[in-house]
Amino acid sequence: MEKHAIIGERIRNVDSPDKATGRAVYGTDFRLPGMLHGKILRSPFAHARILRVDTSRAEKVRGVKAVITAEDTPKIKYGAQIHDEYPLAVEKVRYEGDEIAAVAAVDEEAAQEALERIKIDYEPLPAVFSPQEAMAPGAPAIHESPQNIVTHIDFERGCVEEGFRSADVVLEDVFKSANVHQAYLEPHVCVAQADTLGNVTLWGSLQAPARNREILSRILKIPQSRIRIVQTTVGGGFGGKATQLISLYPICVFLAIKAGQPVRILNTWEEEFAASRSRMPAEIRMKLGIRKDGTFTAKEIEILANCGAYAGTGPAVVGTTATRATSLYRFPHVKCKADLVYTNLTPIGSYRGYGNPQLHFVMESMIDMASEAIDWDPLEVRVKNAIRKGETSVHGFAMNSCRLSECLEEAAVKSGWREKRGRRRKEGRGIGMASMIHVSGNRAVYPFFDGSTAYVRIQPHGGVEVVTGEAEIGQGSNTVFAQITAETLGVPLQEVRVLPVDTDHSPFALGTFASRVTTLGGKAVLLAAEDARQKLLSFAAAKMEVSPEKLELKEGRIRIKNSADPGMEYQEAAKLASHASGGAPILGVGAFSVPSTVQIPDASRYGNISMAYSFGVQVAEVQVDRKTGKVTIQKFFSVHDSGTVINPLLGEGQVEGGVVQGIGFALMEEILRKEGRVLNGNFTDYRIPTIRDVPPIETVFVEEPDPFGPFGAKGLGEITQVPTAAAIANAIYDAVGVRLKELPMTPERILASIRKRNR
Amino acid sequence: MPAIQVEINGIPRKSFVEPTLMLVDFVRDHLGLTGTKKSCDSGNCGACTVLLDGKAVNSCLILAVETDGHSITTIEGLQKDGKLHPLQEAFIEFGAIQCGFCSPAMILTAKALLDQTPYPSEDQIRAALAGNLCRCTGYLKIIEAIKSVSERMR
Repeated sequence: MEKHAIIGERIRNVDSPDKATGRAVYGTDFRLPGMLHGKILRSPFAHARILRVDTSRAEKVRGVKAVITAEDTPKIKYGAQIHDEYPLAVEKVRYEGDEIAAVAAVDEEAAQEALERIKIDYEPLPAVFSPQEAMAPGAPAIHESPQNIVTHIDFERGCVEEGFRSADVVLEDVFKSANVHQAYLEPHVCVAQADTLGNVTLWGSLQAPARNREILSRILKIPQSRIRIVQTTVGGGFGGKATQLISLYPICVFLAIKAGQPVRILNTWEEEFAASRSRMPAEIRMKLGIRKDGTFTAKEIEILANCGAYAGTGPAVVGTTATRATSLYRFPHVKCKADLVYTNLTPIGSYRGYGNPQLHFVMESMIDMASEAIDWDPLEVRVKNAIRKGETSVHGFAMNSCRLSECLEEAAVKSGWREKRGRRRKEGRGIGMASMIHVSGNRAVYPFFDGSTAYVRIQPHGGVEVVTGEAEIGQGSNTVFAQITAETLGVPLQEVRVLPVDTDHSPFALGTFASRVTTLGGKAVLLAAEDARQKLLSFAAAKMEVSPEKLELKEGRIRIKNSADPGMEYQEAAKLASHASGGAPILGVGAFSVPSTVQIPDASRYGNISMAYSFGVQVAEVQVDRKTGKVTIQKFFSVHDSGTVINPLLGEGQVEGGVVQGIGFALMEEILRKEGRVLNGNFTDYRIPTIRDVPPIETVFVEEPDPFGPFGAKGLGEITQVPTAAAIANAIYDAVGVRLKELPMTPERILASIRKRNR
Repeated sequence: MPAIQVEINGIPRKSFVEPTLMLVDFVRDHLGLTGTKKSCDSGNCGACTVLLDGKAVNSCLILAVETDGHSITTIEGLQKDGKLHPLQEAFIEFGAIQCGFCSPAMILTAKALLDQTPYPSEDQIRAALAGNLCRCTGYLKIIEAIKSVSERMR
């Protein structure tokens, strides 16, 4: 591999000093003079008709500056893909937490009092909470769609019947996963301000400011050119603050316009659990055929997924569940049926992995079951079927780089797989593995393009500025972009600053989702830096009276290659260039679109959706207490092919954090509801992993540069929690011989499985 | 409104506060020290941790008036003579910060631990930080950072 000065180094996160000292200004910290407090009135019913709303008593509360209902809005439906929701309910509420009215007042107490004085007459309607209930004949219609179906997927590639006929063993089983929350520590928050000319500014902890502006523009009926979104420091997102714009933001703007003063709305955690968009739970039936020589012959799945009351990003999420995991292996015949169904629950949305962890749990569990049925080591079955570089998966994913097989072997060696597997059941100890695949950008999400644009400006003072609309949310993109720029330009890292995202100044960008920022955003930054470098060298070449090709820029100095000439500092060249052109900086522009081989999938969901696919393997070693059902993870290995790792320090951080979220999904997390009401909407009853729940995690990067990614990099953010539940489920099976088919795998469920087997 | 005399980051300050005002809101909204974060507002996440007479406490569970006559350290008070506290340095160096929303609280809790127990075992570190949630890092780099500071003090 090519030797780099800054790429591949364990560079400290450039944002950490301000975060370590409390100086970073998060959404929750942002204040404006004269700022009012906004609060939202939410439905107490899961499904009801709104007969009458009376806000007159609320308006009289001292200190109240604005009260709004749907009547104060243009009543335009919106949604990430399907336009089926209003920011404030019109005629009907569809889940407990649905927004109906909002107030802005000089303090929280006045706002609260006003909310309590809004009088609403409801006619409760029959409600449905499971997809089965919602699809049943005679079920209440939540929207207009027949059987309450949001998205129906149905495809067959090859002929699964033929595939199953040629199998030696065919297994079939049903698995369930739970609705879990991103549990970023900073709740949704924003501050909105409207000026007298009709321009609107929104400050918020957002993952996709430019896309959020598009959606906001539709809802507000205000042109995008009059909306400015400024991203504050973000206290965690994991998909929860991405393209699915929750109503909080438009409501805040409506209030600010009506009040003529800035307004801030901050969700409480009760509201977060009741009304923000968490992971889609899915019930999945899978049929898998395998031959005695370890070859998969066919796979068939049926997905039944609960969307909650509005579509949100659900259609894309279920599309991911339907196809992605399959592309790990060579499947000659596959079939899929999926239904995403409206219910009267809180709508689901995007959470790190975007529907992918759900199917990985099922498929990687069933691969272990199938391996046992033919008496093969599941490692060998995975190696035998693993997709390889140069191949195209059954769904059309083109593998331009792929080191899955190497990851499997590396995981086996590092973990002592061959020595440990199946040998320690007496002590209740077990080892389990699962493979993973994920994208680096997903062409299916935004209809018009996938790619990114960045500017790299070298100012006359020598400072290098990176201007991008892609969002830093804690994952370290500011650091990675600075590294790419410094490496490409040949200037010291400390000279490079990545500017905060502000839609008035930053180029349009799709934002942080689909593990796209390092790969696509980074590629745009690379191109911009190359452009700036060339422009600077051209100027210097004219000054030095040599041809530009003879020059190099290294460690901040422009020199004639292979000569003793001292050349000049890049800052000097930038200053002179600026003086020679009216003060303009050297402006490098990087506009990158994914290659044309990357496509929106066709109606059957076939298509090469991403420029690069990342792979990996996780191995869990567990101890299961047969008396209590408690699982202790003793050691965890996470082996990744994410191409070139631009910053291993930050890369490990993505892995460790992702694995621990995966442990939460596997063992402890579930939003519990009764008739649509959240029962555990706080961090005592909704348990996420604490520092006491975390095992040692060994991260291994199996690096091979991808042909398209910047310096060969591919996505790493989401994939890290994609296979975790499956690896743990397989380890539990190895430890105590019970197969858990429902998440989370709580001690109660494990104990019940052990007892059932012993009967 | 009751008057309270509190030493904030080494400086005595007199304030008039509502008797119902929580310490977290006093620190953030009245003193403008927004390095102290507010998330769950119910003592479950630990993001609002400050040091009260050197002990780590959830500032969302304590009334401002209760701190009368006591000293409070927030993250803004950790730097000395323009230099970062060794724990701040270590959190940066070891990659123990991602979104950073929990970081001020983590650092202060770790400081309270090391002030009391300069050479903690890993179990002691885990026990001390069990009330501080982090969703980004997976905690391991936080443990590494704290250990490194402890080792450097030896």
